[in-house]
Amino acid sequence: MVASVRPTLGPLPRIVAIERLVSDKGPEILDDGGVIVRRILQLQDRDEDMGAMFVRHMLWHLHERVGDGTATAAVVFQSVYDQGVRYLVSGGNAMQMRRYLEKGMRVIHDDLAGMATHVDGKEKLAQIAESICYDPPLAKMLGEIFSIIGEHGRLDVRSGRGRELEREYVEGMYWKGGVFSRQMILDRAKLRTEMENAAILIGDLDIEDPRQLAQLLNKLVRANIRSLVIMARKLSDDCSAVLLTASRDPAKFQAIAVKVPASTVSDRAAALEDLAALTGGHPAIGAAGASLSRVEPQDLGRARRVWADRTYLGIVGGKGDPRALRAHIATLRAAFDRADDPGDRRKLRERIGKLMGGSATLWVGGVTEIEIERRKELAERTADALRGAIVEGVLPGGGASLLACRPALRQMADQSSDPDERAAYRILVRALEEPIRTILTNAGHDASEVMAEIKRADAGHGFDVRSGQVVDVAQAGILDSASVQQEAVRSAVAGAALALTIDVLVHHTDFDAQPSMGTG
Amino acid sequence: MVDNVSEETQTQDLVYALAASPGFAQDGVCFAARGSGLYRSDDGGTTWHPAYGSLNTEGALATTAVLVSPEFESDQSVFAGVHGGILRSVDGGETWNAAILRSPPPIISTLAVSPDFVRDGTLFAGTVEDGVFRSADRGSRWSAWNFGLLDLSVISLAISPRFAADETLFAGTETGIFRSTNGGRAWREVSFPTEFAPVLSLVLSPNYESDGVLFAGTESCGLFRSDDRGDTWTRPGEDVVDDIVNAIVLSPAFPASPDVLVMLSTALLISRDGGQSWSDWGSGPISEGGDDRALASILAPQGLDTGAPLLVGLVEGGVLRL
Repeated sequence: MVASVRPTLGPLPRIVAIERLVSDKGPEILDDGGVIVRRILQLQDRDEDMGAMFVRHMLWHLHERVGDGTATAAVVFQSVYDQGVRYLVSGGNAMQMRRYLEKGMRVIHDDLAGMATHVDGKEKLAQIAESICYDPPLAKMLGEIFSIIGEHGRLDVRSGRGRELEREYVEGMYWKGGVFSRQMILDRAKLRTEMENAAILIGDLDIEDPRQLAQLLNKLVRANIRSLVIMARKLSDDCSAVLLTASRDPAKFQAIAVKVPASTVSDRAAALEDLAALTGGHPAIGAAGASLSRVEPQDLGRARRVWADRTYLGIVGGKGDPRALRAHIATLRAAFDRADDPGDRRKLRERIGKLMGGSATLWVGGVTEIEIERRKELAERTADALRGAIVEGVLPGGGASLLACRPALRQMADQSSDPDERAAYRILVRALEEPIRTILTNAGHDASEVMAEIKRADAGHGFDVRSGQVVDVAQAGILDSASVQQEAVRSAVAGAALALTIDVLVHHTDFDAQPSMGTG
Repeated sequence: MVDNVSEETQTQDLVYALAASPGFAQDGVCFAARGSGLYRSDDGGTTWHPAYGSLNTEGALATTAVLVSPEFESDQSVFAGVHGGILRSVDGGETWNAAILRSPPPIISTLAVSPDFVRDGTLFAGTVEDGVFRSADRGSRWSAWNFGLLDLSVISLAISPRFAADETLFAGTETGIFRSTNGGRAWREVSFPTEFAPVLSLVLSPNYESDGVLFAGTESCGLFRSDDRGDTWTRPGEDVVDDIVNAIVLSPAFPASPDVLVMLSTALLISRDGGQSWSDWGSGPISEGGDDRALASILAPQGLDTGAPLLVGLVEGGVLRL
C-alpha cells in the first residue's frame, strides 16, 4: 500500500499504473495518493491484506479530512513502523513505545503550529495551491477564488464547455428548491423569476387548501406586501391556481411558490434555520403544529432580491438582523470545529459559506471527459487543502518544516534515561526525514548527497527539486498547508504507534468456517 | 470667525456631504451634496450654484454623496450619489453621465476613491441596504462585492492611503466594522464590539501603512481609536466625546501633527494630541441666537492648522465657512 503511494510525493512525482478490474482499457494512470489507495481493494496474503487495509483506512480518512498529505503520511508511517518493529524485536516494550511516540507526535504538532504563518492574498494562496496540485493555471485561479470566498466559501466545481478554466462569482446564496409551476417563471428568456423587496414564507407546510391560501394572501396584501415567495413541501394544483390568479398583474402583486430545500429531514431543518437567520423570518414547521392560517406578516423573512428558476431559489440581501446572523454563523463554526465526520464537516462548511454572502463556480475545461474529471477532482482536493491553509496557516514546504522539528526531539531523547523513550524520539527524528528523502528520490536526485547539502545550509533551507538548488524554501514560495502537514504526521505516527501494539490478527476464512488465528 | 454664511442657507435641505478639489487653496472649488441637488462653489464655499443645470430634471435630484477625483485639476472628475445610481462628470460638474445600479434602487450613503485613481480608476459606493458597490473603470460600471459583509447597511467607508499596494479599505455599518484587504472584493469583520455600533464615520491615518491608526465615530458611544489596524480599540476622550460622532478629520500630517477634529451633532471638538485632550473648535459660528445648529457634514480642505478654512454643512441646509 505504502509502496504504491510513495512515488506520488513531491512536485516531480512518478506515475502509478493500476490495472482496471472491469474494463479492457489500458491501466489507470494515477499520481494522487488519495485516489490510489481507494483503488487497492485487496491483497492476496491475508495478513498483508489486513495491514494494507489498516493503512488504506488511515490514508483515506486523511484524504477525506484535509484533501492532501497521503503520500507524506504513508512514508512517515512506514518509517516509524519499520523502525519500531526492529526495536521491539530487540526487546523493546510496545506499549511504552506507543506512549512515547504519541508524546513525540504532540511535540511535532506544536512545533509545526509554532512555525505556521498566516496566509492571505491571491498570490500566496496560489503558491500554496501550486504546491498541492502542480497545475499553475488551476493554482492561480484557486488563489483568486479563495482570496474572495474565504475558508468556508462555497465553491462549485463543474465541467466546462471549453478547454480552459473559467470562474464565476455569484452574489447572495442559493438553495435547491425551484418553483412548483413553470407558469410562475416570468422571465421566459432567462427562465427565471426575479422579485424585489420580497417577503418570504419559510416553512415546510403542505399547502392544499385554496381558501386558506386566499385568506393568507388577503392578509399579506393588507400588510402592504407586494412580492411574496411561499416555500412549501407540497402545493396543490388548486393552490397553484390561486397564486397565479393573484399574480395576474405582477406590478401590483406577485406571488410564487418554491419547493422547500433539501430532501432529508435534518438537511431541510438546517436549510430552514439558515434561511430564517438570513432573512429574519420565523419558519412555519408542520411538525411543530404550524399552519397557513396562523401565519402573520411579521413571521415572513425579507430580502432585497429573490430569484427562482425550476431548480434553485436564490436570495440576495437578506434582511435578517446582522447580529443574529453573526451569532448563527458563530454557532455553525463552533459545530464545524467540533465535527469529526467529513460529511458533517462538508455540510456545515457549505452552510457557513452560503451565509457569508456569495459563492464561486469554477468551470473546468479540457479536451476529453477523462481529463476534465481528473482536473475537477484535483481542483476539489486542492480546494480542501487551501481551506485548511487559510485556517491553520502555511509552513516551509518540501519537507523542510518536518526537518525543523528534529532538534526538539533530539533534545528530549538526550534528556531521557528511559531506553524506550529515547528510542521512540530517535525513530521520529529519522521518520521526519523520510518525506524529503522521498521527494528527492522521486525527482531523481541522490537523497543522501542532497541531505548533506541541506545540513550545511542555514535553518529554513531545503531543496528545490525543480531548480536543483538548496534554497530558503519559504522565500522561494515552496509552502505546505500547516493543517495538511500536521494531520499527515498525526495520522502516520498515531497509526504506526497503534499498529506496533497489535499482537493478534483474526481472519474469517469463509462464511461457514471457524475463525483462524495467527500471530503478528 | 465666520467668514460667510452662504445664500443657500435659505434652502432648508440637509447637506449630506462636502468635497473639495485637491487644489482648493488655489482654485477654491468645492461641492455640496444636498437634498435639493448638487452645488458647486468656485470661491472656497462663499457662493454656490447648482451643478445639475445640464440635466434639466423636473424636480430636485436629492444627492446623498459627492466625491472629487484626487486628480481633479487634470481630469475634472466629480461623482455624485443619487437614489439608484451614481452620476459622473468629467468636466467639473458641467455635464453628467449616469451609471444606474441594479434594482431595487440603492440609496448611496457614501463614496470613496482610490488614491491611485488616475491609474486604477477604482471607486467604491456604500449603500443603505445593498452593501458596497465597486467600479474599476472610473465609475462607468458598478457591481456589488459583498462577500463576507454580513451587514449590508454601510454608513461609512475609509480607504488606505496606500490602497494601490495594500488594497485595504474599511466599511462602517449599522452593526460593526468590516475590512477588505483585496480591494473590496471580500470582507472580514474586525474586532470592533457590535454593541458600540452603528459606525457613522471612519478615517485612516495618512500614515496608515506604518502606524496602522484608524478612528471610528459611533452613533451613541463616541470616538474609538485603533493603533493596530482595527484589532484592538481604545476610547480617547471618553468623558468629552460622548455624543454622536458624525465625522472625523485628521491632520494631513498625522501623526507628526496629531490633530483630530470630530463633528458631533451640534458641536466641533478639536484635539491637538491624538485624542487625549479636547477643546471646542468654537461654539459661536455654529450657534444662531444662542441655539445650537444641527451639523451634518464637514470639510477641511487645507488641513486643521489654525486659520485653515473649514466648511460645515447643516441639517437645516446651507454651508458655513469657518
